[in-house]
Amino acid sequence: MNHNEARLLIGAEPHAPPSAELSEHLANCRECSRFQSEMVALDANIRRALEGAPAGAANAPAATASVTPITGVRKAKKEKPTNVWSGWALAASVAVVSVFVIWALRPSDTLAHELVAHVEYESDSWSRKQAAPPAAVTDTLAKAGVALDMSSDKVMYARTCLFRGHLVPHLVVSTLRGPVTVLVLPDEKVAHRTNFHEDGMTGVIAPAPHGSIAVLALGSASVDDVAAQVQQSVRWLPQH
Amino acid sequence: MGGTRNSGPETPVSSYDGSPVGAAAGDPIVTLFESMRPDLLRFAHWLARDRALAEDIVQEALLRAWRSRDALKEQAAARAWLLTIVRREHARLYERKRLELVALDDGVELEGMPSPPGPDSELDSLRGAILKLPLEYREPLIMQVLGGFSTAEIAQELSLSSTAVLTRLFRARNKLRSMYGLTPAPDDIDSEGAA
Repeated sequence: MNHNEARLLIGAEPHAPPSAELSEHLANCRECSRFQSEMVALDANIRRALEGAPAGAANAPAATASVTPITGVRKAKKEKPTNVWSGWALAASVAVVSVFVIWALRPSDTLAHELVAHVEYESDSWSRKQAAPPAAVTDTLAKAGVALDMSSDKVMYARTCLFRGHLVPHLVVSTLRGPVTVLVLPDEKVAHRTNFHEDGMTGVIAPAPHGSIAVLALGSASVDDVAAQVQQSVRWLPQH
Repeated sequence: MGGTRNSGPETPVSSYDGSPVGAAAGDPIVTLFESMRPDLLRFAHWLARDRALAEDIVQEALLRAWRSRDALKEQAAARAWLLTIVRREHARLYERKRLELVALDDGVELEGMPSPPGPDSELDSLRGAILKLPLEYREPLIMQVLGGFSTAEIAQELSLSSTAVLTRLFRARNKLRSMYGLTPAPDDIDSEGAA
């Protein structure tokens, strides 16, 4: 397998388990191995980007000529590297990769923002008038390894959503303060409780025995009491 | 996406008049389809790049799915089946109206643009760059990442060879890669995917 063949496979399916032939090539090729690391990180960002709405899509971005660069570094494609600048180019590349990797691996600095975007995208979930079928609620939660000790007629919406590359339970619970969204996030570990306000929503992300739980509602009133109630109601099933 | 594959949707319908005739609100199949509407809408939105258009596509696709519901062999495969119908509906619309008016196969132009203030801006920029990918690259990428389709399934759906799909997926990411200031991998692959 040559470099081009290896990079074709990596670029096409960054998260696929490498074949024996590709594994052997990667073990002996630092450049392709680095290319793979970069592509895996890039793919994680592509996944996050696609899980949100394509903002401004209706305004025909195709007709515009430019977009804001992600790393703040000019595109390398059009720059002709020379020997004089090769040292600087190498240093810049390392810096760019470092920034990129740090950003890609950041734990939760945009978690709240992505939660709000996700909830906004499914805003129709707040308009449900009837309780979700209890079996659907149980099934949705079980997929994440949790159960809910709560009257099933309070859960108005239950579905499994793709969030940050993972399938997570997305519930809407009827409360005295109106519909409240609950997302159980087994793969999002947070160190401490975080409250946030964004786009007319108030929310809290709280640590849980496995990952975290997010609670969001419209308005500026605190959802701490609801979050506490949800935390008490969520049972993590043994197999998780 | 494993599991039993389903038959394709029935012959195209040219119009609809709201809810499927005979579809009851409490019908389990309707409930199942409706529960997937957000996913379908997101998928259609990325394909069509227009929210209103995406809603039309999903509405038409759901109607078509309901009419072809007997072809759905197992509910576990409903999501892939519905996404396929949405993709075909978009393709039909694309063929009818030629909505892709601008060739964009030169990737994104970044020269002279301001630096981003933070990660959120980067994500938005990445979304913009994905939207600017030509449909031939954007479509398999969305099918793979958002739809969860395998390369073989994408190849079958797009009537391409698996190698051609791999090439398109590689080129899509290679174009996005360049916007990070990372040197794109050499693209010495011909249109059929032979390196």
